Amino acid sequence: MEYEIVMGLEVHVELATKSKLFCACAAKFGAEANENVCPACAGMPGMLPVINKRAVELGIVAGLVTNCEITRTISFDKKNYFYPDLPTGYQITQLYAPICRNGFVDIETEAGNKRIRIKQIHIEEDAGKLVHDYRPDSSLVDFNRASVPLIEIVSEPDFRSSDEVVAYLEKLRSLLTFADVSDCKMQEGSMRCDVNISVRKVGSDILGTRTEIKNMNSLKAIARAIEFESQRHISALETGCEELVQETRRWDDNKGETYSMRDKEDATDYRYFPNPEILPVHISDEWISEIKDSLPELAHEKYDRLTGCYGLSDYDSKLITSGKNISDIFDRTLEFVDNPKEVANWIIGDLASIAREENKSYDEIEIDCEKFGKIIKMVENKVINRTIGKKVLQLLFRDNIDPESYVRENKLGMITDAGYLENVIKEVLAENEKSVLEYKAGNQKVISFFVGRIMRKTQGKADPGSVNSILRRELNDWN
Amino acid sequence: MKKEFFITRYDVKAENSFALDDNIMVKDGLTTGGSKMLHNFVSPLQATVVEKLLDAGMELAGKTKLDEFTAPGIAAETCDILSGAVGAVSEGACKIALCNDVSGKIRRQAPENGLYYIHPTYGTVSRFGLIPTVSSMDQIGIVCKNIDDGFNALGIITGHDEKDVTTFPQKSYAYTPKEGGFKIGIPSNVMELTDEKGRKAIYNFTGKYDTEETELKYFEVFAQVMYILSSAEIGNNTSRYDGVKFGYRTENYTGLNDLYTKTRTEGFGLDMKLLSIMGAHVLSRQNYEAYYLKSMKIRRLIKEHAIDLFSRYDAIALPLKLNDPDPYKNSALYAFATLCGLPSVSVPLGSDGGIQLISQVKNENSLFGICKGGR
Repeated sequence: MEYEIVMGLEVHVELATKSKLFCACAAKFGAEANENVCPACAGMPGMLPVINKRAVELGIVAGLVTNCEITRTISFDKKNYFYPDLPTGYQITQLYAPICRNGFVDIETEAGNKRIRIKQIHIEEDAGKLVHDYRPDSSLVDFNRASVPLIEIVSEPDFRSSDEVVAYLEKLRSLLTFADVSDCKMQEGSMRCDVNISVRKVGSDILGTRTEIKNMNSLKAIARAIEFESQRHISALETGCEELVQETRRWDDNKGETYSMRDKEDATDYRYFPNPEILPVHISDEWISEIKDSLPELAHEKYDRLTGCYGLSDYDSKLITSGKNISDIFDRTLEFVDNPKEVANWIIGDLASIAREENKSYDEIEIDCEKFGKIIKMVENKVINRTIGKKVLQLLFRDNIDPESYVRENKLGMITDAGYLENVIKEVLAENEKSVLEYKAGNQKVISFFVGRIMRKTQGKADPGSVNSILRRELNDWN
Repeated sequence: MKKEFFITRYDVKAENSFALDDNIMVKDGLTTGGSKMLHNFVSPLQATVVEKLLDAGMELAGKTKLDEFTAPGIAAETCDILSGAVGAVSEGACKIALCNDVSGKIRRQAPENGLYYIHPTYGTVSRFGLIPTVSSMDQIGIVCKNIDDGFNALGIITGHDEKDVTTFPQKSYAYTPKEGGFKIGIPSNVMELTDEKGRKAIYNFTGKYDTEETELKYFEVFAQVMYILSSAEIGNNTSRYDGVKFGYRTENYTGLNDLYTKTRTEGFGLDMKLLSIMGAHVLSRQNYEAYYLKSMKIRRLIKEHAIDLFSRYDAIALPLKLNDPDPYKNSALYAFATLCGLPSVSVPLGSDGGIQLISQVKNENSLFGICKGGR
């Protein structure tokens, strides 16, 4: 029997606002426990919510880049449940008038192109975080994240494979990071994804029993969780040894399996009702067009600029627009070196490989683009050769050195003196007569061996162009 | 024996002082909300009203006793306890007292004790620093012996506060006689349910004005709508009191649910428990439409009715009590102003007891004028 997987996604994204949704506390990640907390976000009585306008703006941006309709009068509701990480006993969210509706995102997988429909996007506040393993007899709670603004992007059940899910999440991530809505870091929890999954026989139009999987913090984990859970559904249907129930399950990344949270999720009654403390917010045409006009360049627009205006290759342009960080590095470096092709070569050829050596993803690269630009310029102006340039870049990457003074202090300037180089080359040839004979016999490969020896003798500082021409001349003159 | 109306009392002269119900916050001071739940709660902030009154040179006389979270009580005994705010002004311990009268208890007790109560339009006074009871109805009002003192103080605490988005700009209050005289509507359907004394108070007071018999529509469901909506919001506003972060926590418990259950069982009084349960009931999935949503719709109808009434009258006069002593039924008399966010003044009338005057949103000046006997 052939089965088809049917999935819908709920993606939570933390908005890149400076402050929280209803108070002035900082919304940044990585602070000391309970550092960014005030009476309001600690749930004390007496403070009233004042909505962060920037959060609404970013909600509108999210809707615009995902082709949604923007709701003109939005309101907020209260969702009631007890949990220690929820300081007020209710979450402020949007049930009745979410900010965006009826959008879509186009994705590309090996199977082809597909349109994923978005049902709605709503704004809500995040909860705090429980810390369980600090003390044996009790749990601690950190409210730094409490009331940090989120959007939840709810898709229609349009996914049929984990490839589609991953492509969609990557696309969302690209759209939202380029539009400065969020930094979308799954490992830091600023992008989280819950998958609603069911399976059915191919051809059937009745949905099977649905489960919700939570707690995946990487794309890889999501793909594995989908694989596991869909197999569990299929074997339950095939063998009948397990009855599928509608429930929420957590993904255990170590064991590679999902397990029931047994909290009777679907029996929970959240007792939603309109929040009387927050007045409805009207979103005018003017506001929307203002936001539209100030939208940053999205990845596909940047791709067009790179291939069109700069004549970069499809491969290079795709790589540079694959992430917000690396694409920002490209643009910022371009401010100092007016040569897009050269900058692209340096990023793809050198910076990317250094990052890989240092075990950093493209998103984690931190580099001073002005200094990066200086290195490129020094090579362009033949102050240093490319090999030295790459070494200096490596040091810039690791220790943020100043390239110019480093080159000066370590005397790394390029050796172009023809007489000096000639002597070095003669020396190398004399020391390696056997290889010279191989060359004479027609083996061109030994050229690179000689270049290596010459570079070693000059501590890598020789001008490769001069070395090449002098070497060939000397070899031909050899007798 | 002298009755004590204060929870905390300061040694200041009464003439220029104000008292606060113990649900209004004074920074670094204890604010209990009248509940065991917050028996040890120290305010992290200064309520806007406190800041404004202190800036105006008034002194804080103390914090007065109130019903737990000033919730509209259903248990009979709480209805008969004299409000600390009314008691304190009545015994001359302070010039004015500030409180949040959702239930109508203070609007009834003030005139019975020779005092006025000014219940301003919803959004007139900032609620920053007020422990919330029913967010869509909460409004700080003023108990006073002299109506000028009351409106003076209201002029000080009124106005837009960026920390409370429901507030609107308003500077001060003044009474001016109205050309052609004020016109007061007297709802005959309510008068039918009122005893002889209550009717006499209304007719005696309104005698010199142009009056007209009218009807206060939906009066028969005021109490239900009021209790359904307020229980929903009270249950929600008090769910933060769970023993986890601050306030009362039960001593012995095993696990999270036990902590919640014991803390809330021991920390809340009977009225709060009843209201919380009722609030959960009316908001539950299967009842939301029949109770909560229906009540919201009726509330809208009542508001529309208010607009119609006040297009014809400067004020509506209502009695303080019904013939039937049932406190639940009597709450209907106060629900009109509370549900619609209308301003009202409870007027003391000596041996006649007192009456309530209610006006259109932001029309406190007409009430002031009528109280001052202006035509």
